[in-house]
Amino acid sequence: MTTETIPVPALVGVETQHRIEQFLYAEAALLDDHRFTEWLELFTDDVHYWLPTRVTRTVRERDIEIAGPDGAAFFDDDKAFLAGRVRRLTSGQAWSEEPPSRTRRLLTNVRATELDSGEFEVRVNFHVLRSRLELHQDSFSGERTDLLRPADTPLGFRIARRKIILDTTTLPAPSISVFL
Amino acid sequence: MFDIADLVQPDKGLIDPSIYTDPEIYQAELANVFARSWLFLAHDSQLPKKGSFLQTYMAEDPVLVVRQRDGSVKAFLNQCRHRGMRICRADEGVAKAFTCSYHGWAYNIAGELVNVPMEDRAYHNEIDKSQWGPRQVPRIHNYKGFYFGTWDDEAPSFEEYLGDMAWYFDAMADRYDDGLELVPGATKWVIDANWKFAAEQFASDMYHVPISHSSGFVALFDDPEIRALAAGALAAPGRQFSGNGHGSGFGLRPDLVPDPAGPDFDAFLIERREEIYRRLGEQRALAVYGHNTVFPNFSWLATNNTMRVWHPRGPGRIEVWSWAYLPKNAPEEAKRASRLNTVRTFSPAGVFETDDGENWTEVQQVLRGHIARQTTFNAQMGLGHEQRDLDGMPGRTAGDMFTEMAGRGMYQRWADLMSGLSWQEIAELDKRRREQEEAKQS
Ligand code: FES
Ligand SMILES: [Fe+2]
Repeated sequence: MTTETIPVPALVGVETQHRIEQFLYAEAALLDDHRFTEWLELFTDDVHYWLPTRVTRTVRERDIEIAGPDGAAFFDDDKAFLAGRVRRLTSGQAWSEEPPSRTRRLLTNVRATELDSGEFEVRVNFHVLRSRLELHQDSFSGERTDLLRPADTPLGFRIARRKIILDTTTLPAPSISVFL
Repeated sequence: MFDIADLVQPDKGLIDPSIYTDPEIYQAELANVFARSWLFLAHDSQLPKKGSFLQTYMAEDPVLVVRQRDGSVKAFLNQCRHRGMRICRADEGVAKAFTCSYHGWAYNIAGELVNVPMEDRAYHNEIDKSQWGPRQVPRIHNYKGFYFGTWDDEAPSFEEYLGDMAWYFDAMADRYDDGLELVPGATKWVIDANWKFAAEQFASDMYHVPISHSSGFVALFDDPEIRALAAGALAAPGRQFSGNGHGSGFGLRPDLVPDPAGPDFDAFLIERREEIYRRLGEQRALAVYGHNTVFPNFSWLATNNTMRVWHPRGPGRIEVWSWAYLPKNAPEEAKRASRLNTVRTFSPAGVFETDDGENWTEVQQVLRGHIARQTTFNAQMGLGHEQRDLDGMPGRTAGDMFTEMAGRGMYQRWADLMSGLSWQEIAELDKRRREQEEAKQS
């Protein structure tokens, strides 16, 4: 039997892991509570918030299933545009969120690595459930890769980069009018 | 059974909403509208190499569109002739052949059956492979890099099918010397609404923009004064075109810039101004930059560089496949600005797009009601104010962008096809309608 080595992630300490997880939960709670203006404060000014598209390809071409930086995307935002989205959501005229959706964010499988820069690369699986109006339900699942930068704030970090990968190719929902 | 003449009355601007819900009407649409019309298949830039393929749909029928060795494009049903398995199950890629994963019949990239497992033992060498390739799309037309296909031998040529819409289509397709390219990757999502709501809106509806999309402008502009300026563009005069079921609507812009894609795209437009004016003429280059539908289900928005097909999925569902399009050989910064404008405004997370889906979904939900389904819709905006060849813009034109003329035109073509009229009969009817309008105008 050949034994292939499964890469062991460079673990961060228990305390750091705990602080990172609590940061992510706090962020999710702000979104679930529709506190978008405070949520926006959690991002650095140079943030890139990105959700590229993906397509079904054969195994041979699997390495190119996710669109690159110049490809099609659902989100491809900088801080200014994230702020614009928040302005929209709090305007009372964003009809896909007025009346607002009810969301529940479940975060799990948190894997953090410390980089030489002192920042943390954090991968997390998510499941966001959205309930809307009477019986409308959407479910978004996937993986996020965040770059967390230590910050002198109560929560201890800011998000400097977020890449979101959905498990779906064709989005089985009429819109993503919520943040992931 | 249904009587089309009772369901839509374009000359009166009346729509019976059962056309959006009735399963029987939907099945008739697949046969009489989609299987007889020219449908968008692919853009040149999506098939860069020999063997490049993508799977798309002609209504509900899956088709493979494949670049051939000689550079041409073929399309055939993605259905194995043995027992109907989907031959290729990737969305796109590069292939040397397509082998069915059920029993192994293999087809070359032209869609010819080239190998049958155990041909001697199981078939006694008696199968005539030349007869058992997948159904070919018999007619494919490359219009300026846009491939359209139809199953119908009787349908007019693509140019004739476009008619006057060609002039408006060219304002997008023919704008630059080097042509267009699509940003890699389609954005696909599902809206639980009838396909006609979307197709009609892109043909005909500037009216919803100030209300439905008010929050979109809030997202784009922090400064309320600039927001008011953008909203002011909607107060400027505009025009609408309707012909052969197609539609186009736009404001009359004083200049190519500022473009919604921002300063980096503006710089590119200023540099290419001469080129654009030479190709389109100044009037067309400035004006024809709005919403568009080529009947039945191919639409684009020039201001946001988004192009899409509304694939029907039953009476109450659409699969939207959308692409961002860019001028080929533009500087990287200009392309980036344009791409970001598309992603941020028109994708399922776009600050404009999300609100469109919300409207159509709710309309469709309400139509579950027995009474709601029998309650006539008003499509009378601008009725009786149609003109022809206004300001030299060809075809049926309206002197304002706030009209439902193109919507009525779309339902007229829809009704003609649904009534089972031949293409010849439709052409004659349209000719008579045109003569009546011209007589009225002169
Ligand atoms: S169904 Fe394709 S080989 Fe049998
Ligand atoms: Fe819209």
